[in-house]
Amino acid sequence: MGLFKFSRSRSLWMMHFCTGCGAIEMPPTMTSRYDMERFGIIPMATPRQSDLLLVTGYLTVKTLKRVVRSYEQMAEPKYVIAFGSCTMRGGMYWDSYNTVKELDLYIPVDIYINGCMPRPEAIIDAFIKLRDMIDKGEANAWKNYRDNLDWYKQNQAKVFDINKWSAKI
Amino acid sequence: MSLDVEESIKQDIDLRLKDIAKCEIQRERRLKLYTGKDRVIPVLGFLKSYGFIHLAAISCVDWLDDGEFEIVYNLWSYRDKAGILVKTRISRENPEIDTAIPIYEIAETYEREIHEMFGVNFPGNPNLTSLFLEDWNGPPPMRKDFDTRKYAAEKYGMRDLTEQLKIGMDKIKGVRDGDEIL
Amino acid sequence: MAIIIKILEYILIAFGVAILGLIYGGIGRKITARIQNRYGPPFYQNILDVLKLFGKRNEASHGVMFDLGPVIALTGILTSLMFLPLGSSTPLISFEGDIFVLFYLLVVSPLGMALGAGEGANPNATIGIARGLTMMLGYELVLFVSIIPLMIHYDTASFYKLVQMQGTFPNWNFFPFFLSAFAGLIALQGMMGLQPFDVVVAPHEIASGPMVEYSGRFLGLLQLWHAIAVIVETGIIADAFLGNGGAGWFILKTFSLFMIVIMVAAIFPRFRIGQAVKFYWKYPLIIGLLGFLVLFIWR
Repeated sequence: MGLFKFSRSRSLWMMHFCTGCGAIEMPPTMTSRYDMERFGIIPMATPRQSDLLLVTGYLTVKTLKRVVRSYEQMAEPKYVIAFGSCTMRGGMYWDSYNTVKELDLYIPVDIYINGCMPRPEAIIDAFIKLRDMIDKGEANAWKNYRDNLDWYKQNQAKVFDINKWSAKI
Repeated sequence: MSLDVEESIKQDIDLRLKDIAKCEIQRERRLKLYTGKDRVIPVLGFLKSYGFIHLAAISCVDWLDDGEFEIVYNLWSYRDKAGILVKTRISRENPEIDTAIPIYEIAETYEREIHEMFGVNFPGNPNLTSLFLEDWNGPPPMRKDFDTRKYAAEKYGMRDLTEQLKIGMDKIKGVRDGDEIL
Repeated sequence: MAIIIKILEYILIAFGVAILGLIYGGIGRKITARIQNRYGPPFYQNILDVLKLFGKRNEASHGVMFDLGPVIALTGILTSLMFLPLGSSTPLISFEGDIFVLFYLLVVSPLGMALGAGEGANPNATIGIARGLTMMLGYELVLFVSIIPLMIHYDTASFYKLVQMQGTFPNWNFFPFFLSAFAGLIALQGMMGLQPFDVVVAPHEIASGPMVEYSGRFLGLLQLWHAIAVIVETGIIADAFLGNGGAGWFILKTFSLFMIVIMVAAIFPRFRIGQAVKFYWKYPLIIGLLGFLVLFIWR
């Protein structure tokens, strides 16, 4: 329905999973210099209340577990923005033994922001792009996760033991 | 003329630990002490009673060519404002050394880390579980014979993106030539 | 027949009040943003938020009471809306002693939320509930103390009569009873849960407290409750101290009160819970008690 889609794209509650260096780019994005609240995006405290998961930087296996868990707790429809080179191809951690290289193998990602680190302008740009994608009905990564759950779980099982904690879906 | 701090500490240590440890002055207020694997605990016990009450870190060095690990205890004395490194070597095949928990309780975490990263065993430490690496299935990663690139390629398996990159390059070329972006 | 019309009218009013409350919240966010030198969201942002929340799917549920919690909260505030005279209009229910019922009903909403959030069994929620109920001990007392002089003066315990006897502009209760009004205003700050009394939700500290496990439609109901509560709470102070008048005047008065509260909130850090209750039982309470003196001097 058009009204719901409109409100969905203009009221994104964000949870920023502050791993890595990207977290430092969030305060200027939130506060008076760049002010993302003008797009209806505000930080939320818990995954239950948020629509948008921001993964700000590299993920180790240990943090990836927490990210997957937080992602699965969010209510649908939900969106993911991944941040910086580390989430795309490992970045400067490309040969590290404990750092996840490609985030979209484990959770579906709507938008990647390039850069090491991306500036607040780039983040705002990604928010606007996500808004347009929701308006056009293109931001369907959460459906992707639902449909290809086995594939994602298989990839997750490669790097950690999913049976120990996995949420029931 | 009074002695420097490090000189007086060296004298005291030489007096008490003459047979079991060799002490060197590294530079001002910094000392080094070499000892055998079995003597580490008594040496640490003496140093703590001497005033080195702060165990700042335990680290491990992998001497691959010698076939040995070097365990380094990093101590600090607030009274003398001097630091001392206690170094000992253990064999690489069967890396095992007694825990320092009875003397410094904080050693538990450091030993846990060394156990995880180098595979050194510390008999007497009750909590040698994983610290940073959860669900780790490979060899200890900080050993020098651990091939991190091979392991990362096997475990995380990056996809081949040459085709996509080619398309990207074409786009960049087009922009350079003055064409419109696709 | 008359009763049906009255009920329909009430439903219409409830909707209007909810939308009004949401718009107040949006304007409040905008004002806060301007104070912090930001641009701020559009004034209809809170309406979009609620719409979005009602459009979400597969919210987490932790049991029957968890689901009923937001419903009880919303019901509680809607019931108290029945007792509140909106300006000079007659409330749906009005009788001698309804001020006590109204104040009693104001407690129902936080209690409903406490029951619901309690079943979520999240430790953050438990801390939030404990803080919320403790905070209530603080501001409820001050609110009562600030209203009682009016009840003695007009010799009535009916809110509607109190407002009617008060009259229009020069006869506002605010002028003789300014001490009580000031105490009531401080109580309002805590009732709305805004800084410096926002330790109940405290997003950075206990992850939004009682609401931590709520998502989707449940959270939407809670947002509606909050929106209506804004009007009811400012309405109580506006009715009691700022005279009667038409609906337009009522909106203007509640909005001005809301602005005062928002502006105070924008520049204050937060009290710890112990400090907050201690504060309430010291300065506003003393001010409220001094308000009784007006009774002897003025009469």
